[in-house]
Amino acid sequence: MSIAPMPEPETFGRNPKRGLSGRQKKRIAEFVQVALILIAIFVMLVPIIWIFLAAFKTHVDVYQLKLFFTPTFENFGTVFDDPYRLGEKLFNSTIVALVTVVFAIPIATLAAYSFSRFTLRGETLMLVIILATQFVPAVVIILPFFVMFRDIGLLDTRLGLILVNLAIVMPFAIWMIKGFIDGIPMDTEEAAMVDGSSRLQVIRNIVLPMAAPGLLTSAIFCFIIAWNEFLFALILTNKNAVTLPIGLALFKGEEGDLWNLLSAAGIIIMAPMFVLALMIRKYFVQGMTMGAVR
Amino acid sequence: MAEVKLKNLTKRWGDFVGVDNQSLNIKDQEFLVLLGPSGCGKTTTMRMIAGLEDPTGGEIWIGDRKVNDDLPKDRDVAMVFQNYGLYPHMTIFDNIAYPLKVRGTPKDETRPRVEKAAEQVELTQFLDRKPKALSGGQRQRVALARAIVRTPKVFLMDEPLSNLDAKLRVTMRAELKHLSRALQITTVYVTHDQIEAMTLADRVAVMKHGIIQQLGTPDEIYNDPANLFVAGFIGSPAMNLINGSVRDGMFVTTGGTRLTKLPTADRARAILGVRADDMSVHEAGQGDIDVTIYAFENTGESTLLTVQWGKQRVIARGDRHLRKEQDDVVGISLDPDHLYLFDPDTEQRIRM
Repeated sequence: MSIAPMPEPETFGRNPKRGLSGRQKKRIAEFVQVALILIAIFVMLVPIIWIFLAAFKTHVDVYQLKLFFTPTFENFGTVFDDPYRLGEKLFNSTIVALVTVVFAIPIATLAAYSFSRFTLRGETLMLVIILATQFVPAVVIILPFFVMFRDIGLLDTRLGLILVNLAIVMPFAIWMIKGFIDGIPMDTEEAAMVDGSSRLQVIRNIVLPMAAPGLLTSAIFCFIIAWNEFLFALILTNKNAVTLPIGLALFKGEEGDLWNLLSAAGIIIMAPMFVLALMIRKYFVQGMTMGAVR
Repeated sequence: MAEVKLKNLTKRWGDFVGVDNQSLNIKDQEFLVLLGPSGCGKTTTMRMIAGLEDPTGGEIWIGDRKVNDDLPKDRDVAMVFQNYGLYPHMTIFDNIAYPLKVRGTPKDETRPRVEKAAEQVELTQFLDRKPKALSGGQRQRVALARAIVRTPKVFLMDEPLSNLDAKLRVTMRAELKHLSRALQITTVYVTHDQIEAMTLADRVAVMKHGIIQQLGTPDEIYNDPANLFVAGFIGSPAMNLINGSVRDGMFVTTGGTRLTKLPTADRARAILGVRADDMSVHEAGQGDIDVTIYAFENTGESTLLTVQWGKQRVIARGDRHLRKEQDDVVGISLDPDHLYLFDPDTEQRIRM
């Protein structure tokens, strides 16, 4: 393209040395925006970069803020060996998070469908209560959990952790899935009913496929929450059912903090989260706002 | 093929009455239009026939079966929704095939029937696409095809054309009429558009406040309105309604103008209804009465003259070649064979 740029109309009849032209102002604004974004990214990423580097350093290198060093994969081997045996924790975390999701999503979907499509007695109250449970500080209810679990023998079991995690993710899942189902036009379901479907066929043939992206997003969110859950696992487990986040404490030994091993374990915890975050990026905002907009 | 009978049908939500104790017999193969302004109960009536809304009282019969307690799927009806109600995750083929599939029609029977339905609405080349890739008119055709792919007892159509632009609406209206004559299936059609009602219907039920105001052929509704509401609702421009009284066989406006002869007894208060088309426009002094033009509009196919008549404004239709200016004086005559008289208190027609 060889079209000469149009002169900025604002500069006509004005001394160009006084003040900034519109184009200059725009450029500065853009520069400031980009700079702010970079600062934000930097602030958020520094700890992660630090961990990423430390995981590949030796115990000696770790205390030096070197950007260039000879990387080693030894740490990743060590964390799985005795006495740390991170493999067990990884297994526990995976089982707990997966089983939580496998139960949470179908149950939450049915609850969300009912909230979305039927007029229930005390519907608003129920929804508010479900939401309110999300705001209860975990430390408040951890004691009753501990006592109950001790009495029925669920302390330090994966089943116990799964139950706790279900309680944590369900309200979130119900609200989120309800948002997605609210977004499905009633017409579509009614058309399917007149076309000859029973209510269950409507759910299976119409609602589930249409809400699938939302269900997947909710599932991944629940997985992330269960995977990262720390406080309950800390109090309710001590040996058999220890999960990855608790496992990190292992590396705080008599010889001081083993930052290189801690970092390697940290990466093992974070890696699946990064993959999942990439997968649901597209639906995140949609899932969070869909219910609110209508 | 079936009759639809509504017996004392009522729908209430708390204190709000949606449909008020209405009875209606829809004949086999009849195209019945439920017409009325929004909130008049027409859609509620249709949704009760479909089974999407439970009646508060009364009975619904389709054919020789009382269907009050039947689920929508067991009523053997097909419905076209205002927003089409298509299944966005399915191809057009699967959309049209859904009523067959869910009723367990064998696969080898499905394909020819879907193709035939698609052909009837001219959608054959779109069968592999998703609804998202189609225009509004095409989506409406998909909804139609999905309705006609089976042979249901009754078609229900809920404002099917109202989301289309004006031009497309006219084409689709003709296609719909053609299709319904060809299929000969009892149809209930809900609309607020009186042109659709006039053009499509065998009979029209005009509704207001949950009550059927008049049930009749388009001709009867237009030329023989039962009350003020029907008179004012049908026709464009709306029928002129002039307040006045009847004295010595003459209709006298509130302003005191002696307008026209009326073969009826004297009344202190009455409303005269006259359509724009039933008034003729002449040069000043040559009509029944001289009036001043408030606004002159040329619509192309005719002209509309809004004239000031004492305190009231009245619209008359003139010849398409007529040219007048605002504030000109013209003569107006009323066609004595097409005058309607209403009681302002009961709003009912006074037969002359």
